[in-house]
Formats: sequence, C-alpha cells, structure tokens
Amino acid sequence: MNGNLGVYFHIPFCRSKCAYCDFCSTSQWDDKLMDAYLEALIRQLGDFFLPGGSYTVDTVYIGGGTPSVFGGKRLAKLLKALEKRVSLTRTCEITVEVNPESADKALFKQLKSAGVNRISMGVQTADDAQLRRIGRIHSFEKAKEAVELCRKYCTDNLSLDLIYGLPGQTMESWLSSVEAICALAPKHISCYALKLEEGTPLWRENPVLPDDDIQADMYLAAVEVLAGKGYAQYEISNFAQRGFRSRHNSRYWDLSDYLGFGCAAHSFYGGKRFSFTSDIHAYIAGMNGNAPIVEEADELAFNDRVGEFVMLALRTCDGIDENAFYSRWKREFTPFAKRLEPYIASGHVKNDAGRWYLTPEGFLVSNAIIGDVLDAVCQE
Amino acid sequence: MTDRSKIRNFSIIAHIDHGKSTLADRLLELTESVTQRELHSQMLDNMELEQERGITIKARAVTMYYKAQDGETYEMNLIDTPGHVDFNYEVSRSLAACEGAILVVDSTQGVEAQTLANTYLALDANLEILPVFNKIDLPAADPMTAKQEVEDIIGLPAADAPEISAKMGINIPAVLEDIVANVPAPEGDPSAPLQALIFDSQYDPYVGVIVYFRIKEGTMRPGMQVKMMATGATYQVLECGYLEPFGMRKCDELVAGEVGYFTASIKDVHDTQVGDTITEAARPASEALPGYRPAQPMVYCGIYTEDGSKYPDLRDALEKLQLNDASLTFEPESSVALGFGFRCGFLGMLHMEIIQERLEREFDLDLITTLPSVIYKVDTMAGETVDVDNPHNYPDPGQITEAREPYAKVSIIAPPDYVGNIMPMCQERRGEFKDMQYLDTHLVELHYQIPLNEIIYDFFDALKARTKGYASLDYQLSEYRPSDLVKVDLLLNGDQVDALSFIAHREKAYARARRICEKLKENIPRQMFEVPIQAAIGGKVIARETVKAMRKDVLAKCYGGDITRKKKLLEKQKEGKKKMRSLGTVQVPTEAFMAVLRLDEE
Repeated sequence: MNGNLGVYFHIPFCRSKCAYCDFCSTSQWDDKLMDAYLEALIRQLGDFFLPGGSYTVDTVYIGGGTPSVFGGKRLAKLLKALEKRVSLTRTCEITVEVNPESADKALFKQLKSAGVNRISMGVQTADDAQLRRIGRIHSFEKAKEAVELCRKYCTDNLSLDLIYGLPGQTMESWLSSVEAICALAPKHISCYALKLEEGTPLWRENPVLPDDDIQADMYLAAVEVLAGKGYAQYEISNFAQRGFRSRHNSRYWDLSDYLGFGCAAHSFYGGKRFSFTSDIHAYIAGMNGNAPIVEEADELAFNDRVGEFVMLALRTCDGIDENAFYSRWKREFTPFAKRLEPYIASGHVKNDAGRWYLTPEGFLVSNAIIGDVLDAVCQE
Repeated sequence: MTDRSKIRNFSIIAHIDHGKSTLADRLLELTESVTQRELHSQMLDNMELEQERGITIKARAVTMYYKAQDGETYEMNLIDTPGHVDFNYEVSRSLAACEGAILVVDSTQGVEAQTLANTYLALDANLEILPVFNKIDLPAADPMTAKQEVEDIIGLPAADAPEISAKMGINIPAVLEDIVANVPAPEGDPSAPLQALIFDSQYDPYVGVIVYFRIKEGTMRPGMQVKMMATGATYQVLECGYLEPFGMRKCDELVAGEVGYFTASIKDVHDTQVGDTITEAARPASEALPGYRPAQPMVYCGIYTEDGSKYPDLRDALEKLQLNDASLTFEPESSVALGFGFRCGFLGMLHMEIIQERLEREFDLDLITTLPSVIYKVDTMAGETVDVDNPHNYPDPGQITEAREPYAKVSIIAPPDYVGNIMPMCQERRGEFKDMQYLDTHLVELHYQIPLNEIIYDFFDALKARTKGYASLDYQLSEYRPSDLVKVDLLLNGDQVDALSFIAHREKAYARARRICEKLKENIPRQMFEVPIQAAIGGKVIARETVKAMRKDVLAKCYGGDITRKKKLLEKQKEGKKKMRSLGTVQVPTEAFMAVLRLDEE
C-alpha cells in the first residue's frame, strides 16, 4: 500500500491501429484535435488538483494509444502542468509508452528534459512477418534502433513488451523473440498472451492461433528463459531485473490510489473506482462545457475491496501473506486459503510459511483459481 | 332421431401425404358443415404441431349432413384417425367405430406401406373399404396403374372407384355418393342395454373430459348413470350430443349407430380410455366390446429441466398433457447428474418427440432428456421377473438368470432396387429375416423380427436415408426373447454418471460406448485436472477417452488500471459455470448430455 498518489494520462492517438487492439485510440487525428485534447487534459488537472491542496505524486504513467505520436512538446507541456499542481517526489517514476515507429532522437531528448525516466516500448515480436500479420507498422530493426536512441538520449530504464500466441508463431520463433529482446538488455519485460478481443479486425479474421497447450508451453518456457537471464517474474505478465519493477503498475495490484486523466482513463481514489467516456470528442466537449464525462463510478463496499485485493494480489508472485492480510483487512485469510489448498497438490499454488502464491502453471489458469477463491468472499 | 338406415360411419385411411386431410376438408365444405371462410386448411388437424408435421396426432370426429342424389339426407360421421405407426391401437379403435373406410390412394404413387398397413387394420375391423384415387390433377397421375395395384396387391375392386383431386375439388360428390351407396348402415337395437365404444377423449378445462364414442347398442341420454366396463369408473352423463367442426351440438338422446360425445365432469382421461366400452350402470351390457387394450408405453426416457428449479413446472406441464393423453405415463425419478425429473413412457419415438416438443413449445421449458430405452424383462436368482425401463434399475449381473428384450415385427415396403441397402441395415441391427414378397414388379415387402431397441433410436431415419425416402416402415411389438444384454455405465473421473447409463446387446455395447465417450470428450470443457471418461460393463472398462487438463485460462493485462473489466470477466465466467452441472468433481455443460442424446442423428 502506497500512501502517495499515482497519476495516469491516456493519450488515445496512434499512427495506425493494430489489428488486435481494443484499447481506446484512434488513427483519425490532426494537430488541432491533439491540441484540444491537451488543453482538455490540463483543464482536468486543474479541476482535480485544487490550488492550496497538497498532493504528493510518486508515479506518473503516460499510456495510450501511442503517447509518442502526441509529440514530445505536448508531453512536456502536460508534465509541466502536472508539476505546477502537485509535488512530485524526488524519485518519482515517470513512464511514457512509445512505439518504435514514432520514437526519434528529438522525442527522447524532449522527454528526458521533461523529467521522463522510464520508457515502455511495444516491440511485440522479433519476427517481421508476425509484426505485419498483426498490423504493426514497424520492423524489429526499427525497434532496435529506437532502443539505441532511447539509451543514448533519454534513459536506460527501458521496458519492452512481447506478445505470445501470435498467428503463425511457433515455440522456436517465440523463444528467438525472447532471446532477441533479452539481447537488447532492457530493465523490464512484459509478456502478454494475444487475446482476440471482440470487434477487432483480428477477431473478425479469426485466424488460427497456437493452441492453448502450445501457448501455455510458450509462457512457461519464457518464464524459465527470462529467469535465467536475470529477469525475475513478479506478476503474471511482468519480469524485471532487481530493483526495476514497475512502481506505477504495482499500485493497481495493491489497491493504492491512482488518478487517471483523459478519455477512457480509470481511477481508484478514496475507495471509489471511476472511469471517463472513451469517446475523445465527448471528453473534450465535456471538459470545455462541464458536460458529464464519467462513464462508470463505483464505490467499493468492504467485501468488494477485499475481493479485488485477493484477485489482484494473487496475480503477483508475492501473493498474499496471511498475517499481512489480517493486519490490513482485519479478517482471517483461512476461508480463502481453504479454496487455494486443493491446488497445491496439482502444483498450481504454493504456501511458504503462510505466504500463498500461484506458480507459473497456476498463473496460466489463474481465472479458474481466482474465481474459486472469490466465491469464498461472496460466502463470507 | 335419425333413421338408422340414413347413418353412415366412416374413416379415411391413407399413406402419409396421400391427401387424407385435404379430402376431409372438401367433404366438410361440400356438406356445408363449414364455410370456405371458416375452413382454414385441414380442419381436422388442429394442433399446431400436427399441421407442421402433416400428421394427425389426435383423432377427431365430425357429423355432417349430406343430401344425396336419392333425395334423402344422410347423417355422415367422419372419424379421423392418427396416421403413424406409433398410434396403431388408436387407429384400430377409430376404425372399430365405423362401418366403412375410404382408402385414399395417391394416383402418382400407388400403394405404399401405410396404405397396406391401414387397409389391414380396416379389414380387421370388418369395414367396407372404398378406394378413391387422389391427385388426378397432377401430370404424373396414373390412376389406371394405381387401380391395378390396389386390385393386385390388396385385392379390392377398384375399377369404378372415384378419381378425384381433393386439392382442386374435382369429383368430390362421387366420394359421398360412394359412401351412401356402399357403406352399410349401422345395426344395433336402441332398446338394448347400452354398449358404446370410446374412440377418443379430450380434456376441456370447463366441462372436464369430453368422451367421443360410437353407440353399438342401446341409447344414451343426459342424466343416465354410465359405467366404463374396463376401468370401472361410473359417471352421470351431464350432456351428450353431436360433434361439429366448431364445437358440439347437444341433443336429448343418442342411439345405436350414432357417433357423439358426452361430458360428465370427468377429471381424468384415464377413466375413459380409448377402446373401453360405456354401458348403463343400472342395466349393464352382458359383455364389453372386444379389442380393448390398456394404453401401453413402449419407449421410456428420463425428462429433466435444464434449470433444476423448474421441476414443478415440468410436473404441471406433464400433468396437463396427460389430461389429453392417456398413453403418456410419468413417474418422478431423480438422478445424481440431472437432479429431479420424470421417467416418461411413450407409445413410440414419434410420440416421445411430440411430447418433448410440446413441453418445450407450449410450456416454455428447456429440457434435458436421457437416452430412450425399451422395457427389458429380467429374471433374477430370487425368482422374480423385473421390468426394467430405466438402466438405473438393471439388476446386478450376478443376480440375473435370464434377460429378455422386446422384439418387433417389422414390415418394410420399398422398390426392389433398395433391397440391397435395406437388408444389411436390418442385419446390422440384429434383425431376423422372415420373408420377402413381391407386391408387384416394382414393390417388395420385407418382413423382419428386429429388437425394438434397435428400432427406436434411428432406424426410421436410416431407412429413409438408404432408400432415398422411398421405403416405408410399420412395426409392432411381438414378443420378448432371451438376449445377451449388458448395462454400460459411464464414468467421469471415476464417478459414475447415472443419467448416461444404457442397456444394450453385448455386441452393440462397445461401439456405442466408444461413440458416447468421444462425444463427451468433445463437449466437456477442460478442467483443472485431467478427466478420464470411461465406459464400463460391471468393473471392466470397455472404452476410454481423456479430457486433458486445462492449461490456459488467464487475463493477461490490466489496461491502465481497469480493474472493473477484469472483475466483470471473472463474474461472466462464474455465470458460465453456473450453467454447468457438477458431477462429482467434474463440471459438465448440459450440451454434453444433449450431444450424447443426438448421437444417432449423425
């Protein structure tokens, strides 16, 4: 639990939309729209962080979409506006997502001078044919160049994303992608399974994907290879060298407060979850005219909070410590432990002196396990 | 009261689709029993399902008045008959209420299996059979050949029989004149003790059961105490009268020779079974009319609701259907796999399908049904004979001295070209060939003894498929024969699933067990552990499949802290889980049961 605040900005613009993506982003934009959007973001900052208030922020994350498309200047302006209203801690983690095709020397220089100290880049795979297949508009070579530029002009604190289970991907090609990424020596690696989200072009195309068994093997192989290269797993999809876990993402997982600005941004603040409209124009119009932009708002009852905590904590390698659980929630972990216990024999769950956590095999079927455990929350 | 010599009681019999219902419509129209406007096509088939399937499920009767060319007005009682092998007994009772039958023959098709089967039934009832040749408006019509067939195959004079088109209304009066001239007037003494044959009954929520009958002897009047001679039920007649296309017309008395209805606030159709004899309680007839047989189901299956909480609704629905259907039986049963349901008995597969469809359609129930089964007779060491209609009750093999299964006498009529396809198929189904007769140069009739169990699943469909639909089938239960039967149990992860057990001949058990295992494998989603699917006879496993353990069920990414979405996905999964049935440690979707049931349709 982190007593400070995390801030998220959503930048819903991309040069072109990937075939598998169902996040809020558009490739239909011009400078005018971006300027209006920036203005709306800054206005929302002002609406939230009132003068005279005292806010300490220790993680900032600018995600998308493709923030690099937004341009270094606008990103710098946005961060400046934030700094005016809150105090950033000295060690504040400031991450910006970039894509290889929109990352150049100038951008990295601008980001560095704006205080950005962590870059997250979507590389996805080292196989150019697979990149084209899923609608990525960069080559692996281009990604390598972007990584070099980032190191030289911005920061060494790089996180690279990979996707497994791509159409046409084999175990061999997956492992060579993992090797190739490791060769770029990032501090942090995320590995996601491709999911065909309803309504996306790839979903409509419904391609043949490696089957679940192969995907499971790909995942387990990656966990092993990455561990061997010094990237310890710390969450279902995340791996880091010592000291380089994503502090911002960790907020999501331990129910710390975070505020999201921009369209489709989600927040958890003061026990409430809320999110804003995913329509860019409605968001801008809302910020200009005080029209309602809140799409969902949900005050979490105690049970819901416990449930979310269990759900999220079991997705991390640290898992849940019985004693820590009790001191935070004043509630015994026993009923949940009972649900977890049957999975020990099958190798999905471990219990080390009261610390319960899922193994990589367990992560692979975490929906079933966590679903089971959450039944215990409902029955409490 | 009508002069008895002016009464004609008749049925129309035909092979399916030869135009029985259309002819009935025309007769009603011509006798002005209904106007054109009222006549929505095929008046007598008034259940929605019947119209869709083009078969008559429940018999109906109607009284018409026809002014004949001799200047006299005749009371014409048309008694409709069901047209499927499942309902042979009902057909025979309807025919027993008549003196004559019109045999409709399609001029483009000639004699077919049911033409013959129905003719035999009519001959059994000593009816005067009047062939008419229908569909003469069609280019392919060949009434001369059809007539020749009727004379050669059935042995009925047909040369002067009316050639008609029921659809186009051609030559219909000739049919009515034929009836007047050739169907004998009924006999019987109005002053004799009452003897009336029940040929149908129907439950009406306002007046109770409406009993349809034909008076053979005596007279029925309102107020009379009547007794059903087989069931022993006694009632006071509240109302009696004639049947009309749109309801009923009361009268003061019905006499020997007439067809009509009575009501008596009867709550239960089982009291007034088809084939039973109505007599006067105070002055009973010395004996009942011959031919009564209690309604006897031949095929059984378990019926459950998909949603267990709908069990009471299912009971209500079955009770309502039973009000009108004395041949439907049901008893509560419970299954570990499916919860509470009913073991239901049917006359045959069509009857079963009709009931299932009506339950789903008219009562909006989602059903799970178990594999249909026949009744096996099992002699035990204890010296008892057990009737087994549910595999669950099959005695332990060690206790069995002899097991017997029902055989049916099967008649198949088809063009000779298909004999080569039909014979291996009957062989495969353990059929015992009896004989084969050429009805004429282009029709052959095959007789077999086949275990009923082999007929109920897919026999008819398979037969149609192998003969391009040209073959027709008739069967009736003939005898029980000793048989090498085994009960096959299905096990999921070592736990027996009672609803999937089945009884089969040993030779058939293996292939069937294998197919069921395969089907289950296709339909059971992966679980957290490997699930063996086994079929076993006693302790011996005869087939095995494995559902591999689930390896991947994970939400990869929390986009920008969108926890809500993740939570919703988990909740949605939980909803999906609710639709599963927990069988021991295994979650099984209801589709898996359906798939096993549909095994034979592929």
